[in-house]
Amino acid sequence: MNRVDAVRLVAMLGAIEMCLVRRDAVTGPLLAQAARAAEGTSAAPYVQAAARLARAHDLSARTAGVAPVRKVTQALCRAAAQEAQAAALEGGGATSPTRDAGG
Amino acid sequence: MWGEAHAGVPAADALAQVEDALVAGLRLPEGPVVDVHAHLGTDADGHHLDVADLVADMDAHGIAGAVCFPANQPGDAGDFAAANAAVARAAAEHPGRVVPFCRVDPAVRAAETMQRAAADGAVGLKLHPVAQRFALDDAACVAAVADATGRGWPVLVHAGFGARPLAAALATLTDEVPGARLILAHGARGDARAVAQLARERDGLWFDTSLAALPDLVALPPERVLFGADRPYGEHATARQLVALAARVAGWTPAQVEGVLWGNAHALLGLAP
Repeated sequence: MNRVDAVRLVAMLGAIEMCLVRRDAVTGPLLAQAARAAEGTSAAPYVQAAARLARAHDLSARTAGVAPVRKVTQALCRAAAQEAQAAALEGGGATSPTRDAGG
Repeated sequence: MWGEAHAGVPAADALAQVEDALVAGLRLPEGPVVDVHAHLGTDADGHHLDVADLVADMDAHGIAGAVCFPANQPGDAGDFAAANAAVARAAAEHPGRVVPFCRVDPAVRAAETMQRAAADGAVGLKLHPVAQRFALDDAACVAAVADATGRGWPVLVHAGFGARPLAAALATLTDEVPGARLILAHGARGDARAVAQLARERDGLWFDTSLAALPDLVALPPERVLFGADRPYGEHATARQLVALAARVAGWTPAQVEGVLWGNAHALLGLAP
């Protein structure tokens, strides 16, 4: 993951984290965008899994059954955000190819 | 699995595989891990964790011991008496696995609560300035930290979401209570830059990694950093990932990583090897 991709993901995932906490209805669309942004990077498995959960469930619902799904989604986003933060801090060249091997 | 029971989470097997792959790729040193940040009980915000679930989670992630304290569950009297007693029972049921800290509201019979908790086996104090609405340099807080320090207890302080500016109040607190040993939760992300500067100038400040921000952790000396997961708000997979990434980014040595995972906590808490 290069620095530009990493910073983009960090920004997107920060907004998503707050949307999850606030149970905002835009969480799903934002996760779909983040999944596209993460495609091909090492954060992809986590963001894509989170986006799948958001497609299958209304994460803004206040019902008890959704709470564990929302928590798992938060954890997946945290894994992706931390991965992206590390890439940003390590400072991979901003002009290097925008996709890495993933995984 | 990601801190939640499999029941109720769809496609749990696939999600567990993602978690397993994350953990398998961390390359953290083998050996004991001590988690210095776990809440037991039912929080006012609805989060819940009982000791059986915590110990099962610890077993799954190779966590030898966890510092446990009550969730934000002060009770009608506001003194956390029942919640502290529940943590003490959990520690008695799981000796060596659960390291009990008590929790007080500094303004509500704190000395009496700590005395009772000490008799029940508590070995540290947890303070939450946001939930209990106080500042670290309030007289009641200074008195509670002095009481804990007099007992030889470290004091774990919430320093994350919602925290007020912390550095000036921490400077006052550490001036007022020489010898205090303060663990600032969440890498002090609520006021990270100012607190990191303060920590360069004086002893007595440690930081836990629970739900901390990676850029904050890599700026800290690893000898002052303690592993934490913040169950049930956080979970152990990403907590361990955070340490692995901090080690990679900051260039911590294997010995420093072991210190973060357990050695620093052993020394600070006086745990048996």
